[in-house]
Amino acid sequence: MTQPLIDTILEEAIAWIESDKQVVLATLVQTWGSSPFQIGSKMIIDEKGNFLGSVSGGCVETSVITEGVELIKNKNSFKKIDFKVSDENAWSVGLACGGEMTVFIEQIN
Amino acid sequence: MKIEILKEIIKKKSSNEQFAVLTNLSNGSSEIYKTGIPLSNNFINYKNDIENYYNLKKSGLINNTEILIQNYIKPIEVIIIGAVHITQYLIKFLKDLNFDVTVVDPREYFTTKQKFQNVKIINKWPEEFFKNIQTNSNTALITLSHDPKIDEPALKYALKKKFFYIGALGSKKTHDNRCKRLKDEGFNDKEIDSIHGPIGIKLGGKSASEIALSIVAQLVSETNKYKNF
Repeated sequence: MTQPLIDTILEEAIAWIESDKQVVLATLVQTWGSSPFQIGSKMIIDEKGNFLGSVSGGCVETSVITEGVELIKNKNSFKKIDFKVSDENAWSVGLACGGEMTVFIEQIN
Repeated sequence: MKIEILKEIIKKKSSNEQFAVLTNLSNGSSEIYKTGIPLSNNFINYKNDIENYYNLKKSGLINNTEILIQNYIKPIEVIIIGAVHITQYLIKFLKDLNFDVTVVDPREYFTTKQKFQNVKIINKWPEEFFKNIQTNSNTALITLSHDPKIDEPALKYALKKKFFYIGALGSKKTHDNRCKRLKDEGFNDKEIDSIHGPIGIKLGGKSASEIALSIVAQLVSETNKYKNF
């Protein structure tokens, strides 16, 4: 379907910021092979590692959360992360489906 | 992303506008794009590609670049005739799937606030309702009142306007009789066959929630086949 599932993640991001959290927005920007989610799928992460939403249905979430927390800690504004099955870490982040994906994370400020 | 842009996206989404969000992944800048809005220096070099992706409502990285376009499209409008028990479940499913829902039923006592919250309810006869709204082929019609007086004027309107999905509740016998009446009114076989009746895919369920699920499954399947959004 070209219309996305109802998506209130951006509204949640605003609510988090208004309650004084630092927020990183993660967006799925590219997939190859059998990645399950559609481009534009989103997740938000705060400085403590709390998260909402999803970019992959569970495969790379843990890694994206860690990167999000790091981004806030290091005061960086954005980062592009490639997940590949051939990567040594692929099994640890669970990309066993053989897909590849790129996730863009950015601070909201 | 700047919080101002985020707020603007939310505003545009809630007013059902079509627009896109552009992000330059090499410098992190984002902006909102619509036909007629000039592009900033971050994106101006990709003008043709951006317009192309926007018109095709395609989201993703523009060919071999660091430019991400995310298209936000207007939700598909679903008109439900009949505020019956199935309707209550159907609304829940449809909202989770980002359809825009309007329920039409002239019987006010069927549409109490208790049963129908946060949904557009119109207490009018379908003929009257359709006089005052704009529809197009991206509209879907689901008739559930089970009363020909209420359902059939809506079906006739949807057939004439070529809605992409038309479904009518009723047993095979009820539907056969309905088809005969439509034929007598001058609709041809092709038009009549475009009505999904009895509505829904076969799940074998009889409860209101199961019927709602079978209807929504059929609607989603037809929506995915229909590519002109």
